[in-house]
Amino acid sequence: MISFRLDGRSVVPPYLQIVQQVRQALRMGVLDVGDKLPTVREVVAATAVNPNTVLKAYRDLERDGLVEPRAGLGTFVVGRPSGPPPGTHSRLARSLTQWVRSAREAGLDDESIESLLRVTLRAAAEEETA
Amino acid sequence: MMASSNPAAIETRGLSKHYRKVTALTEATITVPEGRISALIGPNGAGKTTLLRLLAGLARPTSGEVAVLGGWPRQDPAFLADVGFLAQEIPLYRRLNAEDHIGIGAHLNSRWDGASVRERLQNLRIPLDQTVGTLSGGQRAQLALALTLGKRPRLLLLDEPVAALDPLARRQFLAHLAEAVADGGLTVVLSSHLVADLERTCDHLILLAASHLQLCGDIDTLLTEHRVLVGPAKDTTAIERDHTIVQAVRTARQATLLVRGKAPVIDPAYEAADVGLEELVLGYMGQYAAPAPAHLTMIGEDQ
Amino acid sequence: MTWLVWRQHRNQAYVAAAALAAFAVLMLITGRLMATQYQSARAACSASHSCGNLANTLVLAGPWASLLVTLTVVVPCLLGVFWGGPLVARELETGTSQFAWMQSVTRGRWLTVKVGWALLAAAAWAGAVAAIVTWWSSPANTLEQQNFQPSQFDIQGIVPIGYAVFAVALGIAAGTVIRRTLPAMAVTLVVFTFLRLFIGQNFRAHYLTAVTRTFSFLQHPVVPKGSYWLVSSGVIGPAGQVTGSPVHGGPTINFGGVQMPIGNLPQACQTLVFHDPTSFRSCLAAHGYHAFITYQPADRYWAFQGIEAGIFVLLAAALIAVTAIVVRRRDA
Repeated sequence: MISFRLDGRSVVPPYLQIVQQVRQALRMGVLDVGDKLPTVREVVAATAVNPNTVLKAYRDLERDGLVEPRAGLGTFVVGRPSGPPPGTHSRLARSLTQWVRSAREAGLDDESIESLLRVTLRAAAEEETA
Repeated sequence: MMASSNPAAIETRGLSKHYRKVTALTEATITVPEGRISALIGPNGAGKTTLLRLLAGLARPTSGEVAVLGGWPRQDPAFLADVGFLAQEIPLYRRLNAEDHIGIGAHLNSRWDGASVRERLQNLRIPLDQTVGTLSGGQRAQLALALTLGKRPRLLLLDEPVAALDPLARRQFLAHLAEAVADGGLTVVLSSHLVADLERTCDHLILLAASHLQLCGDIDTLLTEHRVLVGPAKDTTAIERDHTIVQAVRTARQATLLVRGKAPVIDPAYEAADVGLEELVLGYMGQYAAPAPAHLTMIGEDQ
Repeated sequence: MTWLVWRQHRNQAYVAAAALAAFAVLMLITGRLMATQYQSARAACSASHSCGNLANTLVLAGPWASLLVTLTVVVPCLLGVFWGGPLVARELETGTSQFAWMQSVTRGRWLTVKVGWALLAAAAWAGAVAAIVTWWSSPANTLEQQNFQPSQFDIQGIVPIGYAVFAVALGIAAGTVIRRTLPAMAVTLVVFTFLRLFIGQNFRAHYLTAVTRTFSFLQHPVVPKGSYWLVSSGVIGPAGQVTGSPVHGGPTINFGGVQMPIGNLPQACQTLVFHDPTSFRSCLAAHGYHAFITYQPADRYWAFQGIEAGIFVLLAAALIAVTAIVVRRRDA
């Protein structure tokens, strides 16, 4: 079962953090179709977040077709977010870890890596629109 | 405003409380819908305790109207059974122990869930046979909350309940509160200084400063209605046509404005950013604080 | 609510019961001793027909027991200060009243149960002490016939119950209005003592109109039967002027319980006063002087007990009414 971690200092509102964490879990294969999401009460007990927040997140996920409430049983995963199959993320994560290692050995600190990533993303985006 | 199927848990109109020399609360018009966890925020002396006491029926208003769960706060067992109040000083009987307090709850309340109280105290490892006077401040706070929840109220009014608790205990306290709300049929108003804690647990805000009501509403709605605009220090009449300027910090060349309004900001000279709860609260409370020294606002300006 | 009152005051109740038991045992022992002493003394004197003087010759009670009995006069005051004062004040001070009032019990019910039990307990405790003291004093009462005197009237019978109920009600009212325990206790002590003495000294004599009897100096002095209460005594001159009693600092002479200040009497009789008491009295009679006593007859004892107890109970009721109003109307 997935457990949620809410970052109080993030600019992302709590309900959106929950939505994003469910989507990410589905992408990474941590959650799969047929799995049960924690009940509102369980999430609230673990994170002290407002119950309406959890309800809102679950409603968003339901609207996107990812989950479905079943009366008396709970909320279950019924779909995956569009995108590459679960294995892709883990595979890419592994190669990224290797790249980060070599970048560090080359002497780049975290800030330089992030900045390099941002520049590369922007360049790629411009390439796509061109 | 959408009409709610449930009547509001709390509705006040022009509520005021004056003492001989001091005005504690001025013309407060507040609505708290049912099922909300409302954060009551404000500096010391702003009127938070007064408001909670008026809602609980422990004090009588000087003027104005107040409706709690559909009626005037009154001295009858039905109303008292529905409303729970926890004062800042956590007044328990110091010479009695937790077990005694559970007994008091059972004898004096029409609805009472002693088993849940005992279970909670067990989870928190609070001894039942030690006199309350010998428990720590945090344990007393937890005991008091457990007892207040044990009477299964429909409305819970808590005055600075987490002030005595360490961060972990605070988190557990708020989690327990939110769980009780998740079970349904409970509305909570809690006052606190610690905005960060409240941001994740609360979905409604009542902001008081200098005995006046500043803000009242669902937090999500309030946050979308406010924005921080950073731009050159120039005439703001255009902005003020669609927005209210809540707080303006101006230097010679730059202005930072906290504004409230539903229309989008079109002026390209201003950079608009979303507001977090803490910034929003500080913005409103800042009007009543001493102005910040000028040199602090010059950080980031071109030399 | 009764459960809560019991739980809060359980220890106090045990201590009070223990103290009462100890007091009762002590009084029982000394009381039985006194009673036996008295019986044998009466038996002895009736055999020799000398019982008339028994009051002056027989000393019944030991000094410590007597002292303890005399000290029971402070019982109502103590009850008022220590049971009444803190009852409401302490809860207002610590905020536990707020806690109770938010537990689905109305202020009215909270007050009624607390006050009810406090007054009942005070009445019972003071009543028990008074009953024990009355029983203990019965040989002395029969012998000396002094129980209408203030020092005995105040600690026997039912007035101690009235005092106790009033004292506790006063403590409760003071605590409710002042909202702080120690000041409430102090106020209770002062006000109770003042009122108790004031009413006793200034009003008691007038509950029922006192009986006045005049008698000639030529006859035996009139001594009312039983434990009468002498309110005043003196001498009436031929024109009806009262040369009354008591006058401080002048020489007096006693005539059947009447204290006569000699200085106001005719000169002719004054010279006779020490040489020839009989001629002195004939002289006064010849000059038209009479003696008088004003007193409350012994058979009015219980009427007076009832009236005084009733007054204090009424005062208590008024105080409780004030308390109830304040508690309901004031902000918590």
